[in-house]
Amino acid sequence: MSNALAQRQTALTRTILIVFAIIFAAPLVVATLTSFKSPPELTRVLSLPSELYWQNYQAAFERMGRSFFNSIAITVPAVALSILIGAVAGYPLAYMRGSSGKLVYFLLLTGMLVPFQIVQIPLFFLIQRLGLYDTIAGMWLVHTAYAVPFCTFFMRNFFASVPRSMYEAALIDGCSPARYFWKLLLPASTSGLAALAIIQSRAIWNDLLFAITLTSSDAARPVTVEISGFASSLQVEYGPLMAATLVSVLPVMAAYLLFQKSFVRGLLGGAGK
Amino acid sequence: MPPRLKMPNRTTRTHIAFLALPVALFVTFYIYPIISSIHLSLHSWDGFSPSMRWVGLQNYVTLLGQPRFFNAVINNVTWVVFMLIVPTGTGLLLAALLDRGIRGESVFRILFFLPFTIPAVAVAAIWRWMYEPSNGLLTTVLELVGLGGLAQNWLGDPAIVNFSLMGAVAWWTTGFAFLVFFAGLRNIPTECIEAARIEGATPWQTFWKVSFPLLWPSTIIVLGMSAIDAMRLFDVVWATTQGGPAYSSEVLAVQMYDLAFGRFAMGRASAVAVYLLLLSAVIIMPYIYYMSKRVTESEAE
Amino acid sequence: MKRTRLLGALFAGAITATSAYAQDTYEIWHYYAAGSELAGMEALIANGNEAVDEANFKGVIIPGNVVELRRQLQTAFLGGQPPAAYQSSMAFELKAFVDGGRLHPLTEVWSEINGDEIFPDGVQRVVKIDGVPYGVPYDLSLINNVFYNVEIFEELGLEAPTDWESFLATCSALSDAGYQPLGNAGGPFWSLYNFYAPLVSVLGVDGYYQLASGEIGFDSPEFAEALDLYRDTMVSCYADNWSGKTWTQTADDVVNGDTGMFMMGIWVAAYFEQADFLAGENFDVFQAPGTVGKSIFQMDALAVPAGSEAAIEAAGKFIAAAASPEGQAAFAVPKGSLAPNVNVDPSVYGYAGSRFAEQFSEAAANDAVLPNLFFLLPTSVGTELGVQIERFAIDPSDAVKAELMSTLETLRQEALAENAFIAW
Repeated sequence: MSNALAQRQTALTRTILIVFAIIFAAPLVVATLTSFKSPPELTRVLSLPSELYWQNYQAAFERMGRSFFNSIAITVPAVALSILIGAVAGYPLAYMRGSSGKLVYFLLLTGMLVPFQIVQIPLFFLIQRLGLYDTIAGMWLVHTAYAVPFCTFFMRNFFASVPRSMYEAALIDGCSPARYFWKLLLPASTSGLAALAIIQSRAIWNDLLFAITLTSSDAARPVTVEISGFASSLQVEYGPLMAATLVSVLPVMAAYLLFQKSFVRGLLGGAGK
Repeated sequence: MPPRLKMPNRTTRTHIAFLALPVALFVTFYIYPIISSIHLSLHSWDGFSPSMRWVGLQNYVTLLGQPRFFNAVINNVTWVVFMLIVPTGTGLLLAALLDRGIRGESVFRILFFLPFTIPAVAVAAIWRWMYEPSNGLLTTVLELVGLGGLAQNWLGDPAIVNFSLMGAVAWWTTGFAFLVFFAGLRNIPTECIEAARIEGATPWQTFWKVSFPLLWPSTIIVLGMSAIDAMRLFDVVWATTQGGPAYSSEVLAVQMYDLAFGRFAMGRASAVAVYLLLLSAVIIMPYIYYMSKRVTESEAE
Repeated sequence: MKRTRLLGALFAGAITATSAYAQDTYEIWHYYAAGSELAGMEALIANGNEAVDEANFKGVIIPGNVVELRRQLQTAFLGGQPPAAYQSSMAFELKAFVDGGRLHPLTEVWSEINGDEIFPDGVQRVVKIDGVPYGVPYDLSLINNVFYNVEIFEELGLEAPTDWESFLATCSALSDAGYQPLGNAGGPFWSLYNFYAPLVSVLGVDGYYQLASGEIGFDSPEFAEALDLYRDTMVSCYADNWSGKTWTQTADDVVNGDTGMFMMGIWVAAYFEQADFLAGENFDVFQAPGTVGKSIFQMDALAVPAGSEAAIEAAGKFIAAAASPEGQAAFAVPKGSLAPNVNVDPSVYGYAGSRFAEQFSEAAANDAVLPNLFFLLPTSVGTELGVQIERFAIDPSDAVKAELMSTLETLRQEALAENAFIAW
């Protein structure tokens, strides 16, 4: 292959990527500009802000206030718990032989079919009877429970890619199956856990449906409820809405940047490599 | 204890212990609500009266006679097709291009992933501007490049609105497909690629003959998740158009919501939910069956 | 195994650690989540806290609209944890919850605040179910006004039109000069609210109520005539691409001088002012043809869920404070709506507000105060009417018109069979 051809191909690749990058970035640029506009300027969508109108951020912070910390208090443990439950369920399913394991796996996976809107009312009763209505712990429980199908699916696949020889060798050495899981398998699976952590952080951080159904006060309301407040009813406060959105995206981005190295290795099972 | 039923061995006991909590959560949070939905769907109930009236299968029958219901079913199926092709294909394209060692890789990677992190209500608000039909970004750009004739009444024309929503959702979710494929490509051992190159394959051939088949695990994840998201689709549609204009962009989850809380028809809404569950089962069950079959395959490895 | 137990313990610990609820704080639920609406509600709640010593009131925003609020109420009712009071629309919105046995009758508070004296008749009848008051109004917005850009009207030498003929002439003048004549926005409400003007033109006040009580059919010649009038007047004037815009985007078009007129609820005045587009200076207002001397209104009331005695008592005190002239003004002024209480001094309003107050008292004197039809009809009929009118406004063909009439007539027959209509 000639050098010129290779160069032309690289140039083409770059061009396509840049075009896509512009398409991906344009709405975000508009959102960012909007977050700096004063109310009269908002009537012109594509104009530049005449000055940086920080009041939108101030309004966003005032409104988000405690809810931002609620979101962190909900998301961090819920991500950890949901990954753990996925690993706990995925482990036996990856190693069990026979049809009972397959049946349980199939059953758990069918949970992925269920649209969450249909569970709302029974869910409300459950959570209320457990005394967990409007609590952060209630949100942990719900996010963990509804993560069971996907996290099990994800972790089972990951564990299945870990060479079985490692498992058998450990058992021969007298290691109990439970000990193998905690001491050997989990530590060797950090990349898979990290990949799942990114996906779960995004899903839990952005949840609105469970939050609206199961929380009602500052004690437990996450930031998505406040953000949707800016966007709802008759009026939409675009300035603070965009400011709040941009701020609220930061933690998920941080999680992504933090875990992305492992993500590449972990998503498809690479512990053995 | 009869001798035939010997105590399960230690491994089996551990397995059962590990599965106990996840299965308990599953039964409590999935099975019980589904049964309760089926129960509701056989009644006529406004949603808050102390009593409800048994109507048998009437809610199901009524829905089958409504064009509105079928419109939503068709929309859901269209969304599945769209989600299987567009965000997945775009994600694969971007991942494949970026995998060729382009300068500024990390910037592209962040940019492609960024929209995926935005909450649905904000996606809706942002795209309401993008699609503003006279001064929005999309119309303005089309006019700037001399294609003003292509500009549409993006969210207000019943014939266009679904495509517009799909565009917004593609922007929102392509990042996930991209991320998974990119990870998949990085997982392919370089030896395989090298070997192909030494044998004189062009990058195009290398991709389709070597990389793509090895990407099958990533593809399975992305396709499965896309189909599931398409069936469950709710937030963005509700926040952008509420299913309008005149039901044209309605999907089943939106219809369910509107019936339950917009019209106090809880029983009928539950029947929609059950239909949605059945439709998802038909569309997604083969995928789930395939995934659970892979248990046996991976054991055989 | 040990870890699994640890996990359980973790959950149990978390459960006991959280969930504390202050005893004497009472929640007021509403969906005024932003802008001037939120400012109004916050002022109303502050007013309540100042007037009532024994209890503390807290506003809880349910983000979304009436649909989300109903959803939240439903779960709260079923779970036995309703708020002390909540924002409710009028008529069927109240009736649905009364029929379900979920609302506490406000007879006592009503007589304490002298509700029969302080609220106009048209207002009273949509908060009483079988003569018993279940809601106390605090937020009233007229929806039969057309807002126009003063600069454009002056440039073209136009006067505010007074009947359909001059309205159409104004439209032509605007569109000849390159402006979009009449703004509208997508969604099931705005086209419907516009349609009320031709509807009242054809049916008159009595006919409007007869349609609401199911006495006039949707397949009747009168209703067809109203649709035709709507098609020939407002629909023919609508701006290009109106159905793809939100109401604030269309309001922006008026501010930016692209669109000449916009028929919208009076809350748009507050939006204009916020964008430095001032009443009497940049925009002005006239009553839609066919509704001159009449008022069509949308209204919110405070409703009190049945249940805890203490909450009902506290809510009663809050409502008494909210119904007083001070309470009513506290909400209406920042929100940009009208106070339903006739004792509120009109001088609290600005230029636009005092115009609306004048219109409203004139309409009350004419006995032509018309509540939003959407809420006078049984919920399933009213909601479908909104959807169908929007569809007709987008495609005003005879085929759509015929389908609209038959769809709605079928629903009317169903509602008649269930005895669902009410003569308000």
